[in-house]
Amino acid sequence: MDKVMMGNHAVSYGVQLARAQVIAAYPITPQTQIVEMLSEMCANGDLDAKFIKVESEHSAMAATIGGSMTGARAFTATSSHGLALMHEMLHWASGARLPVVLANVNRAMGPGWSIWSEQTDSLAQRDTGWMQIYCESNQEVLDSVIQAFKIAERVLLPVMLVLDAFVLSHTSEPVSIPDQTDVDRFLPPRQAKYKLDVDDPHSFGGLVAPPHYMELRYKIQKSMEDALDITQEVDREFGDAFGRSYGLVEKYRMDAAELVLVTSSTITSTSRDVVDELRAKGKKVGLLKIRLFRPFPVEAVREALADAKKVAVIDRNISFGCGGIFASEVKSALYGSRIHPPVFGFVIGLGGRDVTPASIRKIVEHVETHDEPAEEIIWMEVKR
Amino acid sequence: MSREIVFRTEADMPPMPMSIGTTLTNKTGTWRYVRPVYLDRTAPCNQNCPAGEDIVAQMDLIRRKRYRQAWELLVRENPFPGVCGRVCPHPCERECNRIEVGGAVAIHLQERFLADRALQERWPLPTQSLTQDGRIAVVGAGPAGLACAYHLTLLGYRPLVFESAAEPGGMMRLIPEYRLPKRVLDAEIGALVDLGIAIRTSTRLGESLDYADLADYDAVFVAVGQSVSRSMGVPGEDAVGVIHGIDLLERLRAGQPVTVGSSVVVIGGGNTAVDAARSARRLGAEVTILYRRSRNEMPAIDEEIDEAVEEGVDIRFLTAPVEVLTTNGRARGLRCVRTVLGEPDESGRRRPLAVGGSEHDIIAETIIPALGQMADVGFMEGKLDLTRGRVACDAAARASLEGFFAGGDVATGAGNVAAAVGSGKRAALAIDRYLRGESSDDLPPVNEAVHAVHRDQDTTVVRLADLNLDYFEVEERSGEKHLAPGLRLASFREANLGFDEVSALREAERCMSCGTCNRCDTCLILCPDVAIRRLPDERGYEIDYDYCKGCGICAEECPRHAVSIQEEVQWTK
Repeated sequence: MDKVMMGNHAVSYGVQLARAQVIAAYPITPQTQIVEMLSEMCANGDLDAKFIKVESEHSAMAATIGGSMTGARAFTATSSHGLALMHEMLHWASGARLPVVLANVNRAMGPGWSIWSEQTDSLAQRDTGWMQIYCESNQEVLDSVIQAFKIAERVLLPVMLVLDAFVLSHTSEPVSIPDQTDVDRFLPPRQAKYKLDVDDPHSFGGLVAPPHYMELRYKIQKSMEDALDITQEVDREFGDAFGRSYGLVEKYRMDAAELVLVTSSTITSTSRDVVDELRAKGKKVGLLKIRLFRPFPVEAVREALADAKKVAVIDRNISFGCGGIFASEVKSALYGSRIHPPVFGFVIGLGGRDVTPASIRKIVEHVETHDEPAEEIIWMEVKR
Repeated sequence: MSREIVFRTEADMPPMPMSIGTTLTNKTGTWRYVRPVYLDRTAPCNQNCPAGEDIVAQMDLIRRKRYRQAWELLVRENPFPGVCGRVCPHPCERECNRIEVGGAVAIHLQERFLADRALQERWPLPTQSLTQDGRIAVVGAGPAGLACAYHLTLLGYRPLVFESAAEPGGMMRLIPEYRLPKRVLDAEIGALVDLGIAIRTSTRLGESLDYADLADYDAVFVAVGQSVSRSMGVPGEDAVGVIHGIDLLERLRAGQPVTVGSSVVVIGGGNTAVDAARSARRLGAEVTILYRRSRNEMPAIDEEIDEAVEEGVDIRFLTAPVEVLTTNGRARGLRCVRTVLGEPDESGRRRPLAVGGSEHDIIAETIIPALGQMADVGFMEGKLDLTRGRVACDAAARASLEGFFAGGDVATGAGNVAAAVGSGKRAALAIDRYLRGESSDDLPPVNEAVHAVHRDQDTTVVRLADLNLDYFEVEERSGEKHLAPGLRLASFREANLGFDEVSALREAERCMSCGTCNRCDTCLILCPDVAIRRLPDERGYEIDYDYCKGCGICAEECPRHAVSIQEEVQWTK
């Protein structure tokens, strides 16, 4: 069934189709519609899940963890300051190896107060042991929710699904809703090997002394590494079942591309149009969309950029004192390989400022007119 | 017992930090220094019910649609639920903790709902065979006498009831048809007769029954009520056209022709006054009630006053009669004075004081005094000690003469059916103890109700502040249905139509079960140690003190304050 829906509701439908059993959430703009719709689904019987109202995002994640500990499929959604407040519990979810799925609507952190799109909130959580998937369209959002549960339950790590504030969250697009029976076949009920069980009580998350702590951390990293293959496998299975797959990264018009734009989220869509336009003018410009940010798909990035003459990474985020976060991840991925194109790190669109085709054209022009990046951070469209 | 677990490689380890063995070995109960215990407390409704009903337990049963069980529990305390559901001033609702959360639960309508269903389904009262020896006489077949006889029957006795009137029922008989249909009263008294209670009517103490006759009995319960109407004490009150409220109501009850003039003045502020006024309205008169105090002091049931006003009864407050105006020995009006309220008198109500120069006349063809009733104690004088015109007795209903007990209005002057039922029950329990040679010291003081069915609960009353209001939403009370005032005046048809099953269930849901566990599972769900278990047969919960850490969450969260925290035994030197 096709339906026109907002990105937020694409999340809700995805969660419904995945048959989440516990949902705990606290409202925050621009995420609220996700859990609002889910609460309605729970109330009117369209989703057989326990919806837990809580008093903060910290509690939302704690309750989601509790639900997941019992073996239930658990979901929550948040944004920006809400995600920041969850920070402690994010470590708990991954440390306890719980396949929780969280949808984060990217929103800039305050102050200055902002409700608009920026990726710094989710990227600031990159070291918490959560997988991160950045979505470009509402269809990808819905599909990725279903994939995320399957990946999480195989890898035993939580997955954060990320979508842009307003540009996706509040923008309507036609979305194909898969049949429940097909989704059930693709995503059977969760089988938790370790769980809270009153008939076989164990304690979880207790003290671990130095002789064992490091091994547990090693296992998380191993699982992150395994997650690359598993994510690809799940994505392929999804493609077989539903005819859509997304990859860890997506290469767009990369044949003989000399200048490669590296993007994530909705800036990708804008960039696609500009690439089409420049290709029509005979320019050898390509596009690499990074969908999976954690674990970072190092090999896929290296492979995609192997023949690039210049790379322009577009970041709607900033790690203060360093630069665009995708740019530094890309540079880090290329270092140690034999691929050494100059990497231009652009920071643009912070706090929800529009990133238009003209902005992308300016980025291309800048790269075309410079052999090497003049600055570590190239600030675009900043009034200085 | 402990052993060190050594993992050779990370592959031997579980993916997350967890205990390998069961945690049941970790008896966290040893950490506890306070312990939660389930302790039911008293709800304000139960505390205030003069008949000693267990309203909270009834509500719980109604909520689960166990109407018959609810009714059976109800009639273990009060054999007149159909009467009380209609005419009781329902003090149970006065301090209901729901008042602040959407309005008091409509308890009296629940009682009536159960009673009406019982009548419709012909549920029988509980029975008890004759197991006790004592011969007991009950004098007076009003609510106190009949309740006493009923409870004695349930205790295994077969008392004999004497009644001066031709029909049993006492003052209940005088309640007009539109408030208490005769079929309801007859059915509830009939059920008592079916139980084996013998009632000898038209037998008046002092006339066809005397102390010598009563000497044959091991115990005598005197419950002759208050049947004498107070006089106004003003000139002209013997005129033609002056008829006392209870006489008017008695004639209506007996089906005798009653005519009133086109203008009627009723004097008084109690239920008899309002009953007489509303009856006179139904007979076609213009009716005015004169009351010498203000609405605040009016003893009649609030709803009755409201309904009287709806029906067009005019009430003049702060007005007192000083003379009945007559022409040729026939009343034509009343001379009245205005009053102001002074200091409270011994009844606790402010004393009305006449305002000088405020005399005025009111035209009235019929004048109905209804200033309250007194006991006819002539026959008791010299035999039983009296106090303030009533038979003196203690908390065990014992009068001054050995083997004599007293209750109901003649002893308490309470003037309502529920109080009379409670008083009769108290006497029954006391008589049983007396005949078996046991002490009655365990009976509660006279201002507290007695219970026939033992309740395992603390007497502390749970108030709004004790409840966890996070668990309750503000929900409006479901009210009763009434006939339209116009329709009411056309006949003596019952004016208050009660409510239906949907409303009854809704009200039962609104009941917060103050102080009484109703197995809502809040404690069970929230116990972080999973140390609470459900007991079979809806007997509530038990706490596994091997694991209960005494965190107190169960007590803190209990919506109805039915869990207490007690200190563990203290070490002493």
